[in-house]
Amino acid sequence: MAKVLDNLRARTIDAPWFLIYRRRTENLFFQVLMYLILFNIAFTFLYPVLYMVSTAFMTIEDFVDPAVYWIPRTLNWDNFHLAFLGMNYKIALKNSLIIALVAAVGQLVSCAMAGYGFGRIRFPGREFLFLLVIFTFIVPPQTIIVPLFILYRKLGWIDTYYPFTVPTFFAHGLRGPLFVIIFRQFFRRQPWELEDAARVDGCGALRTFFRIMLPLSKPALVVTFLFSLVWHWNDFYEPMMYLMKPQNFTVPLRLSILQSSLNEVTGGQAGEFFNEPLIMAACQLVVVPPLILYLFFQRHFVESIERTGLVD
Amino acid sequence: MKLTLNQRRALTGFMFISPWFVGFLLFMAKPFIDSFWISFNTVDMMAGFSLKWVGFQNYVEAFTIDERFVPTLIRAVRDMCVNVPVILVFALFTAFLTNQDLIGRAFFRGVFFLPVVIASGLVVQQLFSQGAGRLASQSQTMQLIDVPGLIYMYLGPAAQIVNDLLNRIVLVLWSSGIQILLYLAGLQGISSSLYEAARCDGATDWELFWKITLPMLSPIVLVNVIYSIVDSFTDRFNPMLDLIRNYAFTGQFRLGYAAAAGWVYFIVIFLIILAVVLSSRRWVFYAGERD
Repeated sequence: MAKVLDNLRARTIDAPWFLIYRRRTENLFFQVLMYLILFNIAFTFLYPVLYMVSTAFMTIEDFVDPAVYWIPRTLNWDNFHLAFLGMNYKIALKNSLIIALVAAVGQLVSCAMAGYGFGRIRFPGREFLFLLVIFTFIVPPQTIIVPLFILYRKLGWIDTYYPFTVPTFFAHGLRGPLFVIIFRQFFRRQPWELEDAARVDGCGALRTFFRIMLPLSKPALVVTFLFSLVWHWNDFYEPMMYLMKPQNFTVPLRLSILQSSLNEVTGGQAGEFFNEPLIMAACQLVVVPPLILYLFFQRHFVESIERTGLVD
Repeated sequence: MKLTLNQRRALTGFMFISPWFVGFLLFMAKPFIDSFWISFNTVDMMAGFSLKWVGFQNYVEAFTIDERFVPTLIRAVRDMCVNVPVILVFALFTAFLTNQDLIGRAFFRGVFFLPVVIASGLVVQQLFSQGAGRLASQSQTMQLIDVPGLIYMYLGPAAQIVNDLLNRIVLVLWSSGIQILLYLAGLQGISSSLYEAARCDGATDWELFWKITLPMLSPIVLVNVIYSIVDSFTDRFNPMLDLIRNYAFTGQFRLGYAAAAGWVYFIVIFLIILAVVLSSRRWVFYAGERD
């Protein structure tokens, strides 16, 4: 085997072909190998998801039966029905959507403004303030959680949406600094002529920003909006800190108290229903909204990071 | 009042960053300093969060009495040290593969990015505690080679760490979506004229890789290193997260002690990232910057 590989190496290339920028190898052996590796990685990535989908449709009999592998005997929707009830899904969905949407809009506007200021306008102390943005990014939430909790408690913000939404309008909140950095990098790459032309025509700074630069920054806007939405949706740590009453819980939080709330719905019978297929169905209810978003905007998710020039 | 152009521009700049600045003061600087202050006190939650000065007692307790804090901290750092290189190498490898002209490229990229979208902490926890993660690593291909056996044979005592890693390898790989994307963007940003020029000068493929691809990619490697470190330290599975929350919000509600723990944690992270940034001057190459 080693000899064969040696021969291949001697005949074709002196480096693994895939390391070089976008060159398709002519070597069939390597092509097959590449697809094998890729399919393997893809399968490993998809496995938990496939497992979740297939298990959610199983009855408990199917689940414990070793003969049933991947495909359940009958499509069993009961798990979804129970999970829907147990998670109080309608209300949880409303809570999650409000938090995620408001927060995403907040970060969109405020981070774009801050990014524009940092990337485009020269003012004293700019570099230092931008260092603070980066510094903010590396402070773990655990370090500031105690004073924030006390602050929100004193403001009466516990069990409201405010702890999640208000900071986003000030370019903070979940990974706010990251979005500021994205916008800064994006605006820095734009040509100067547009703004100069606007200024010559007597357009003020705010109007230049909202009328000319913001419409131009679609890739950065899309990245920020989608990521902010998804990250706020999936967030667990902060909602767990600031939300106490179950009727205010977001969808992921609901998942954590599924068993006890099922007990209420079924009158103490949850033990009978509480099993892995049910949990997987509940997980799916958490995952489906961002997944739908992803399927619709997949191209934007993956391509817009390239177009924002974040990596320059 | 008459302002010079520069002053006017500065004012505009401040105007644009003012929302951020207010947010920074309210939601970052103040809690950050407060937390430092609180860490030298005990907090009475019942009496309107009144503080009582105790000096270094919280810190001393964390390092000398508490039998959970130091081991958890070490575990968090150790996990990071193992996870980050794995994520970086895997993401780079995957980015190279999906940067080729290949059939179904959009599909593969979509799949690799999927965990970023659906990886809600709790869902992942459920999935992996229910065995999906374990099963995945034992799926068909992995069974072809007896991985743990091989490792024990060659690595001996270090095998434990490697084995730990293998047990949660899917989890680790699942958190590499953003990194793959950044690498891809970086690879696409390398102008092909560089390669052509080097090839005209007779560079071999290896030289192209080491002398063009890697240096041009090194700024993104730095971004990815920092992102991965931060991600690893604030990850849902990080044991430190739950520990600090438990200090603060269960049992005796020891807010002061939790603040001290949070500060120690921050200092550790800060020092690690500082070391990375300082060392980066040696290994990051910025094209276009001349001195």
